[in-house]
Amino acid sequence: MFTKKNKQKKFTLVRKRVPFLFILPWIIGFIVFTLGPLVFSLIMSLFDWPIAGEAKFIGFDNFSTMFTADPQFYDSLWITLKFALIFVPLNLLVALVLALLITQPIKGIKVFRTIFYLPAVVSGVAVSIIWGWMFNSEYGVLNYILSLLGIEGPNWLIDPKWAIVTIVIASAWGVGSMMLIFYTDIKGIPHEMYEAASIDGAGPIRQFISITIPTITPTILFNVITSVIAALQQLTLVLLLTGGGPLKSTYFYGLFVYNNAFKHHELGYASANAWFMFIIILLLTMLIFKSSSAWVFYEAEVKKEKKGGKGK
Amino acid sequence: MKVQKKMKLFFLFTIIATLLLSACSSSSDTNGEKAEDGKVKLRFATWDVGDDVDLQQKLIDQFNAENSDIEVVLEAYGGDYDTKITAGIGAKDAPDIMYMWNYPQYKDALEPLDSYIEDKGEEYKGNFYEALWNYNAVDGDVYGLPVGYTTHVVYYNKDLFDEKGIEYPKAGWTWKDLQETAKKLTDKDKKITGFAFPGKPDPYDFEMYLWGNGASYVDSKGNLDGNINSKKAIETFTMFQNMLKDEIAITTEGWGDTEFKTNRVGMFINGAWYLEAFKEAGINYGVVEIPSFGDKPSASIVSSSGIAMSKDSKHKEAAFKFMEFWTGEQANKERLSFELPVLKSVVESEKLQEDPIKSVFYSMLEQSEGYNPTSFVTDDWSKLSDDLSLVFEEIFNPSTRVDPKEALNSVIK
Repeated sequence: MFTKKNKQKKFTLVRKRVPFLFILPWIIGFIVFTLGPLVFSLIMSLFDWPIAGEAKFIGFDNFSTMFTADPQFYDSLWITLKFALIFVPLNLLVALVLALLITQPIKGIKVFRTIFYLPAVVSGVAVSIIWGWMFNSEYGVLNYILSLLGIEGPNWLIDPKWAIVTIVIASAWGVGSMMLIFYTDIKGIPHEMYEAASIDGAGPIRQFISITIPTITPTILFNVITSVIAALQQLTLVLLLTGGGPLKSTYFYGLFVYNNAFKHHELGYASANAWFMFIIILLLTMLIFKSSSAWVFYEAEVKKEKKGGKGK
Repeated sequence: MKVQKKMKLFFLFTIIATLLLSACSSSSDTNGEKAEDGKVKLRFATWDVGDDVDLQQKLIDQFNAENSDIEVVLEAYGGDYDTKITAGIGAKDAPDIMYMWNYPQYKDALEPLDSYIEDKGEEYKGNFYEALWNYNAVDGDVYGLPVGYTTHVVYYNKDLFDEKGIEYPKAGWTWKDLQETAKKLTDKDKKITGFAFPGKPDPYDFEMYLWGNGASYVDSKGNLDGNINSKKAIETFTMFQNMLKDEIAITTEGWGDTEFKTNRVGMFINGAWYLEAFKEAGINYGVVEIPSFGDKPSASIVSSSGIAMSKDSKHKEAAFKFMEFWTGEQANKERLSFELPVLKSVVESEKLQEDPIKSVFYSMLEQSEGYNPTSFVTDDWSKLSDDLSLVFEEIFNPSTRVDPKEALNSVIK
């Protein structure tokens, strides 16, 4: 009896240690490259930390400067939120439409699937450079096409009113991965549902609203959260495509932090900025999660409820 | 319970292991950096890319072959240069020798070189163009040896001039001349404009136009008020803005070279970076000194590159030996294809004063001696530069075109 128990215990122990050995490289990586810098930047945010020279402890001065003495902080925050407000819904919509398109049973759909996904593979730097050429108001392809239609294209990268639109368009380039996530989810919806619906006389739009949308709400939730985070952290495009201009109209928060750290060499201040953004993202994500109970639909929940109902 | 304890131990082990690993790596870094074969190992950081790096590596190989006790390792950081240098300095792991131009920003991490240079004698220092020392020093202390430089000149498209039968500009011309020429060159039907300048000019560069008019951003004490918004300064900006209003000039999204290359503009101003590119593109161009405001010769900003030594280097003697080699006559000659030599003896032996293109950069350099860019005077240039950049954009951006006086006064606050 006893020996048997012991053996079992030993067995479970071994079983538990081995998986940890497997993820050990990740754990080390996490501590060295993620957790370490994370904690370190929190410490830095309490210091006046120049690159060369001694760091000086200044308590919460960085945070108070940020809130009281730096108008650029509010400007950048506002621009970034504005960008997220345009970018997130638009991106979701485009991804969803594309996903619907590539689920259609048409010949050669695989080619389209690849084409739609391809831009997501291209690195952000290359995307910035390509869009820089396309948006050039004098030589750009975009304005050339518009001129063929008799429209005088705007000065995309010069006019402050258009610059943020430019960034939104260019970042929609990366919609491919989101599309793919929608696609797999839509593919997973049982066909019988649609059949049953069409027998009941529901048209394609009705089917989309009553079957597709409710079923994929968990995926929508996931995509909303990831794209909100991506939007708030957008840096590559503004850094390379506009440099924050024209007239600081695309001086996003990410660029604000980057410049404070690597251009103005204020590492402590930049850390404080970054932590503030972290808190904003955390709060926003929590808010979205909280709201999810009102609109996200989980199949498992329904089943449980049904079971509960029977018990009564 | 026991399981948990083991788990705890396991995590503890993991953390200790990681800490040990990181500790090991940092201690080996500070360990004098002697290569296994007893050679002194020097790290040398460059911002160049592509073919230039290959050329530099060849030069370094040569140095390493000649000096059996030193081994120089080239680290090409490319476009991320400043970020990497910054991170390296921050982590007390800076390369021994670094390419450098923005001395004020990094001076705390650099070794002052005056005593090294004094040991070499007057003649050594005198062989470099005087104007360049200013750009490799902060507050009178030299932190770098000049490697290359460029002044800014006016590039003009000879074909466009010939088409309209306009005489080529000559040294000693004025801004008035430039405007008249630009007016003649401008051809709306062919979409050709006489002159072009960046819509978002680099404040570091733009100060040269103020110098030419006897103004500057700040005085020697770093005061903006009364300088950036002085009558002469406002006049300079107004002149540029008026050229846009008169439609004899356009602003460009880049530096103007694209527009120049495609025969869309007749003239633009920039450094020596395009000599090769324009030659390859087969453009029939000439260069001429920047026009003056009439009463005194024009001036140019110097975009200079030098090499500096890290204050924390463990092998300063060896590092300076390499720096001497890197800035010596032979190295200057090797770099002729992409860098203007900084040594008078090389300019003489290569007969660059007789070169119709390159000589202009040298006469611009001699004309520009004694000017001190604001970035070397003020404490916080990176912030001021940002502010100025925004104001310049407001003045030149077609959707704002703010009155220069109003815009420049807003910087003071």
